[in-house]
Amino acid sequence: MIAKLIVRRLAISLVILFAVSLLIFCATLLLPGDPARAILGQQATPERIAALHQQMHLDQPAWQRYFSWLGGLLTGDLGTSVASGQSVAELLRDRIGASVFLMVAAALISVPAGIALGVWSALRRGRAADTAITGVSLVLAALPEFVIGIALVAFFSTTVLTVLPAVTMSPPGSQVWDFPSQLILPTAVLVLVVTPYIARMMRATMLEVLDSGYVEMARLKGVPERRVILRHALPHAIGPVAQVVAIQLAWMAGGVVVVEFLFRYPGLGQALIDAVNYRDVQVVQAVTMIVAVIYVVVNLLADIVGILANPKLRTGGAS
Amino acid sequence: MTTPNRAGATPDGGAAQGPGPGPGLTTRRGVLGGGLGLGLSAVLAACGDGAVPVQQVDLEGPPQQGGTVRVGFVGGGASDTLDGAIATNLGDIARAVNMYNTLLYFDDDYVLQPLLATSVTPNDDATVWTAELREDVSFCDGRPMTAEDVIASFERIIDPEDPKSGAAALGHLEEIVKTGEHTLEFRLSTSDTALDEELGQYTSIIVPADFTVEDPVGTGPFMLESFTAAQSTVLTRNPHYWGADGPYLDEISLLNFNDTDALINALLSNQVDAVAQIPPALTEVIASDERIRILNSETGMYLPFTMRVDKAPFDDERVRQAFRLAADREGMVEQVLSGKGTIGNDMFAVFDPAYPDQLPQRAQDIAEAKRLLAEAGYPDGLEVELATAPIQAGVVEAAQVFAEHAADAGITVTINRMDLTAYWTDYLGYDFSQSFWYTRNFLAQANAAVTPGAPFNETHWDDEEFNALVEQARAEVDEAARGELVLQAQQILYDRGGYLVWGFANQVDAYQGYLGGFVENRTGIPLSGFRLDRVWIGETK
Repeated sequence: MIAKLIVRRLAISLVILFAVSLLIFCATLLLPGDPARAILGQQATPERIAALHQQMHLDQPAWQRYFSWLGGLLTGDLGTSVASGQSVAELLRDRIGASVFLMVAAALISVPAGIALGVWSALRRGRAADTAITGVSLVLAALPEFVIGIALVAFFSTTVLTVLPAVTMSPPGSQVWDFPSQLILPTAVLVLVVTPYIARMMRATMLEVLDSGYVEMARLKGVPERRVILRHALPHAIGPVAQVVAIQLAWMAGGVVVVEFLFRYPGLGQALIDAVNYRDVQVVQAVTMIVAVIYVVVNLLADIVGILANPKLRTGGAS
Repeated sequence: MTTPNRAGATPDGGAAQGPGPGPGLTTRRGVLGGGLGLGLSAVLAACGDGAVPVQQVDLEGPPQQGGTVRVGFVGGGASDTLDGAIATNLGDIARAVNMYNTLLYFDDDYVLQPLLATSVTPNDDATVWTAELREDVSFCDGRPMTAEDVIASFERIIDPEDPKSGAAALGHLEEIVKTGEHTLEFRLSTSDTALDEELGQYTSIIVPADFTVEDPVGTGPFMLESFTAAQSTVLTRNPHYWGADGPYLDEISLLNFNDTDALINALLSNQVDAVAQIPPALTEVIASDERIRILNSETGMYLPFTMRVDKAPFDDERVRQAFRLAADREGMVEQVLSGKGTIGNDMFAVFDPAYPDQLPQRAQDIAEAKRLLAEAGYPDGLEVELATAPIQAGVVEAAQVFAEHAADAGITVTINRMDLTAYWTDYLGYDFSQSFWYTRNFLAQANAAVTPGAPFNETHWDDEEFNALVEQARAEVDEAARGELVLQAQQILYDRGGYLVWGFANQVDAYQGYLGGFVENRTGIPLSGFRLDRVWIGETK
């Protein structure tokens, strides 16, 4: 039963990724400007443009280029960046590492923090702490990440205090995590943007569960409150929250672009901006595809958590 | 013959830097974000009440030796180069100026001075130029620079298989002949009284005969330590540097940013020591930080509107004049450049000794503009599309401000804002568009942009009388007589040219108060022409 559901979700994910690949390919076709000219710039003699067109297979029909690209993707070949002549996979390896590191760090903080805050404020329904958390999370949820980022930079780096670096700068050859102080602000922005949603959703579902009949029943039976919350209430609340967490984490794959831009963080987002500027189509396609895969995979995991957390399915009593 | 060293633009003809953010690239979002960030900073500063201590630094004494300086700038990308001969964006130019030397260079007043050559002088009709080379110059690997190296350097630049930026301007260079141990002759097929200016462009670099870009050897004050395109470049002091003064620093880091906000934040948080090109609108706010100094240099850099004189409606001289009269130049300098600039009079090369100051300054005259349009057959006004892109700080803003002014004269300007790559793809094709040029003298600029063979003839200008004057001026060795010819040519541009030159933009940079050696510089190249050999770190008192 469960296996069947999961396989179904997996199949849907693959179809979505296929559709996305088609969309990405068409979108890159629509980028204005000639990639060969963009890359050659000053050196753009007609002969070199023609040579580069051939090298980029721009002389082939679009459908043929699409299928050779898709074929490459399926065999793990992301192609060659025309702007730099490097293989895209090699070009993006450090970038993916840096972006994923940032996202994982933010997720590891914001998911437990959001769940804890949500549960804690649900248990204090209507009291001062609850009102404060609800209010603050509402404000934070309404602010775009670059506003939060600029405020944090102004406060901690440039104007009031000068205790934290405002941008990421690492010597060639080093990795972003070699300089932990440079990671604090970018991570903090992502955490501050993601946590409020999770906390609010957790609070809402938790309240619903706490008001439900089976929690009341457990309490009437004399089950200790701690056990009521951990064994009876929480598991029921986690399912729906997993969906929200997934959406937030998936969103982070895109939102990280803004954060990277603001903090000069050498991740996928920066690579994407560069590549769009240079019409380095192979890199644009690879980065957008990677972001799409992260999005789809995270959502798939959330669906699976949702399925597993659903007591009806878990106990095999599904309708 | 042209000199495509306009740092910054890119395109196709080559005039400029490859796609990718140009120097000083400012997106609207960037300006808004930066303004927001700084506005917030100002508010927080008011609360913090000078929480950041300002150290007293001694910059009075002689320059101190040692230290590392980090320089930030917006721009750069996958096609960043270590080859100074094809330098286009800000990082390329900074590397070109600090790793290599040219025979001559333009000083802070935009006057040509000797560098690797002690003199470069023309014969009577400027068809043969004789260069005397310095005898004490070594490359950073210790080998002495020879006349053969200089010849090889220019052959590399004009290599027909792989022409470098200077090639277009050296099309008349027939041969370079060694006439003495340290003496060369540049033999030209036509007269060129401005050849020395070409030798002074930062792309006319001198490299060893066996130069490869993988092992970039030059005679400059600094040499390569490490380089990652679009990220950072580290240069160290050249132990074999031939110059008597400087460099004072042990090391310089050149850091690419793709956003003005991040750049300025890095400056304010002291992660970089100097930044090249800040948006003029942010000058006041940044200057209010006591730790930071602003370097505000008057330059000959201009951001003109370009009207194609071979296409309707701009093939009618009256329409061009009406557009020029519609612009409120003072208002544009004020709004677009935040007052950091001077007004223009539809002519370029403002620092050329022959620049005509005596021609009446053109000012906004809406009634006359309307009259001219009616006379040209547009009594009810006309509609035009203006192609623009953030090719340089202020360009898009200038488009918006001009559109407002033009509306008063019955001209409806539809702004077609593109991204850089899209813009440069059809550069030279637009009927009505914008451009930018760094400081140049008249002949160099004319050869680049307003003669029939010019590679960047944005206005498609081909005026027989003008062409004849330019040709005469190129052959006239007597400076006074040449000035007279230039003056007449400039008058033609003023009377009927295709450019609307509304102003000249200052170069505005910012740096930490503990740095010495930055002076105002007219070239338009940021941070004192990127002459980091003069920069030093002051001692804390």
